[in-house]
Amino acid sequence: MNEHDDRQIREALKRSLPPINAELGRDLWPAVLRKLDNRPARVPWYDWALISLCTSVFLFFPQLILVFAYHL
Amino acid sequence: MDLLRRFALGEIDAFETLVRQFQGDIYAWIVRIVRDPGIAEDLTVETLWRIYRAHQQFRPDGNFAPWARRIATNLALDHFRRKRPEQSLLAEPVGAPPPDHLLQQETREKIQQAFRRLPAKLQVAATLALVEEQPYDEIADALGTSVGAVKLRVFRAVRILRKQLNHLGVKP
Repeated sequence: MNEHDDRQIREALKRSLPPINAELGRDLWPAVLRKLDNRPARVPWYDWALISLCTSVFLFFPQLILVFAYHL
Repeated sequence: MDLLRRFALGEIDAFETLVRQFQGDIYAWIVRIVRDPGIAEDLTVETLWRIYRAHQQFRPDGNFAPWARRIATNLALDHFRRKRPEQSLLAEPVGAPPPDHLLQQETREKIQQAFRRLPAKLQVAATLALVEEQPYDEIADALGTSVGAVKLRVFRAVRILRKQLNHLGVKP
């Protein structure tokens, strides 16, 4: 393959893929802000760890549920 | 405190200023790759959202534009990988149609078809280098690779295109 081949392909591609308008037509900040607001907050890993710990304790020691409920 | 430093700390006002300053450049880069204004707008919003999410990883002494462009390019690549079969590169021509009286419609379609079949990485490199004539160092930076690797991708894209076009009986 030589430079002539390269040029041929380049020209063919340019003719086949029409030029595009690269100008942005509107302000995207409102859409970005909406996206930032809409994303649900992620539960941090330590909350998951706490939930797992509590579930395990209650599974192995179910009588602790009453103690826990009493202290609520 | 300067703008980039405030952005790195997660200040939303600083981020808004950066969005207003760079959204046009990011959009222009993405639309050159995906060649569809609607998809490019969606990907630009997603890029800006990811940029904000990654604010802690941004080094304030670094350059914002190339960093943003790299995030945008990765998103465009992901988009190609997800949407390959239906992906269209046939954006509506802007203004007058290109001077294609020598190139028949059928030939154009076959070239587009062959181009869409390229692997995403090769397609992006070839679009930016051959069609959009972006500098190789900028493409390399956006793809997170070396100039040599970009040249190799373009070379491979041209070779595959030539093979496919020969197979389809098209002479470019």
